[in-house]
Amino acid sequence: MKFLIAEDEIELQQSIAKYLSQESNICEVAADYIETSEKLDLYEYDLVVLDINLVTGSGLELLKKLKNQNKKCGVIIISANNSLENKLEGLDVGADDYITKPFHLAELNSRIKAVLRRGKFGGEDSLIFEEIRLDTLSRTAYFNEKPITLTRKEYDLLLFFITNKGRVLSKSIIAEHLWGDDSDMLDSFDFIYVHINNLRKKLTSEGAKYIHTAYGSGYLFTAE
Amino acid sequence: MTTSSIIMIFSGIALYLSLKALLESEIEEELYSNKDRVERLLLSKPDLKGIPPIMVVEKVKDPQPTVLNDTLIYDPLQDEIELFRQLAGTKEINGQEYKITVRAMVIESENILFAIVFTFLAIILVAFVFLFYLNKSRNATLWKPFFLNLAKIKAFSIKSETPLTLTESDIIEFGDLNREIISLTTKVQADYHNLKQFTEDVSHEMQTPLAIMQAKIETLFNGVKIDDSQYEQLDSLQNDIRRLKNLNKRLIILAKIDNNQFTDSQFVSINESFQEVLLNFKELASIDYKIEHSEELTVKMDRSLAQVLANNLISNAVKHNLENQPIKVDFYKNSVQIVNSGNSELANPEQVFDRFYKESTKRDSSGLGLSIVKKICDYYGFTPSYSFSKSPESTTGFHKFEIRFTH
Repeated sequence: MKFLIAEDEIELQQSIAKYLSQESNICEVAADYIETSEKLDLYEYDLVVLDINLVTGSGLELLKKLKNQNKKCGVIIISANNSLENKLEGLDVGADDYITKPFHLAELNSRIKAVLRRGKFGGEDSLIFEEIRLDTLSRTAYFNEKPITLTRKEYDLLLFFITNKGRVLSKSIIAEHLWGDDSDMLDSFDFIYVHINNLRKKLTSEGAKYIHTAYGSGYLFTAE
Repeated sequence: MTTSSIIMIFSGIALYLSLKALLESEIEEELYSNKDRVERLLLSKPDLKGIPPIMVVEKVKDPQPTVLNDTLIYDPLQDEIELFRQLAGTKEINGQEYKITVRAMVIESENILFAIVFTFLAIILVAFVFLFYLNKSRNATLWKPFFLNLAKIKAFSIKSETPLTLTESDIIEFGDLNREIISLTTKVQADYHNLKQFTEDVSHEMQTPLAIMQAKIETLFNGVKIDDSQYEQLDSLQNDIRRLKNLNKRLIILAKIDNNQFTDSQFVSINESFQEVLLNFKELASIDYKIEHSEELTVKMDRSLAQVLANNLISNAVKHNLENQPIKVDFYKNSVQIVNSGNSELANPEQVFDRFYKESTKRDSSGLGLSIVKKICDYYGFTPSYSFSKSPESTTGFHKFEIRFTH
């Protein structure tokens, strides 16, 4: 997959690019309006991560331009402004998703995967990891094509783990993902244990020991 | 008023005295001229008797001095004793001494006084009524711009986006006042606006550095091998960033309510908003809750604010609830009640909705959740309240938060 990260904060841009390129994706970066505009004209990308407040111009303008060109390219907007109007405006113009700063890279990654999975980008409704297959339309998990009974949150957790396989996920990353964007979450993460342990038990009973503990209190989903 | 009445009294007295003196001298003059006429008449008609009591002619032997005095005479026509001024004197006409007495009825002092007082009162009344209406109409036109502007100043809100405009006036003082008030309100409005904007800007500007910090931590997790204690440090750093992020989020909500950015009012089911939040909490944190009373409760407000309201009240209840006790949420026709268990009453229940007021020592509590609840209530005119109840035989009591949606 080929991504363009249009973000004027170089540090953030580099971190995103580094995180996304771990799965043999190609990540190009652009630091301002002109550079982004040029790259979008010249090259084809599967997805653009677009900061709405680029120093030299509005990301929304770029988005409009991109949509006028009818390019088959997914767009995720990043914004420092968590207002509903901005979100709606972005989505109206044709963005596929909207994420507010500060966000976790794992969260951004899972949003990117979700956008790419959607039909219009030629993705599939299935997500496969070793013997596990997730049907993202019916939201069911299969182990060797045998359905596993999962609660909604367990399914979300498994999807999040698979899209961020091989990455260390801290409790707070997982908690924020499960809790969702607009919720005033609890400050204690004890409830995370319960969900992870339940999921781990269900997977282990099938013989899939993929949830590993990393550094004592973090988690790592890997086949190794 | 006192000055004018004193002037009135003195001028009344002076008028009375001068009028009296004038009348007296007029009467005297008349008496002398009447006497003269009688004397001349006597030349041709020696037998003249006169017309008593006005005129009396008597024949006397010796001359007497002329006397001018007052006398009381019974007037049979009017059946009363009247005061007369009389002039009596003798005159020798054709060798015969005549005593001629002429009299004139004196206007009584009380009558003069009465006439004066009556006239004065009439004048005062007419003048008063006239001046009253004259002043009233003049004042109304004069003060009209002032009262118009006063109404505008009363209606003025510091939060409003439009500057205060005042009606122009020809009166210099009013013009000055208007200019001062306008420059003052413009300044205050600008300051207030800047302050609000500052809060929002700062909150937004903080998001990017926080995003960088968070991204770097995740890069470290997945980069070079770190040891467990380093991970712990980074993980706790991540928690601190999350706290800042939540604080920011809440400050932005407060600023937005202040900036009137929630204008999308629609009928929202409070039952649904709360149930959605409760389900989310139950699913994630397996909290226990029960709804004993569930009337339909629909309120006209912004949907996202209803969500925030439900979220903040329930997460507050969950945070401070005792273990293994259910949270109770009840919906009534005009209110919603959220009850959680607790050991003791709050030390300062009146501050429970204040910004950054923290009763608990919980490190992570932002101290903004309930103040947002209060802000939302203020914005829509709802009434939030808090109470604590505890039965004497029980060791635990109940914290009850109630929102009344009536205006």
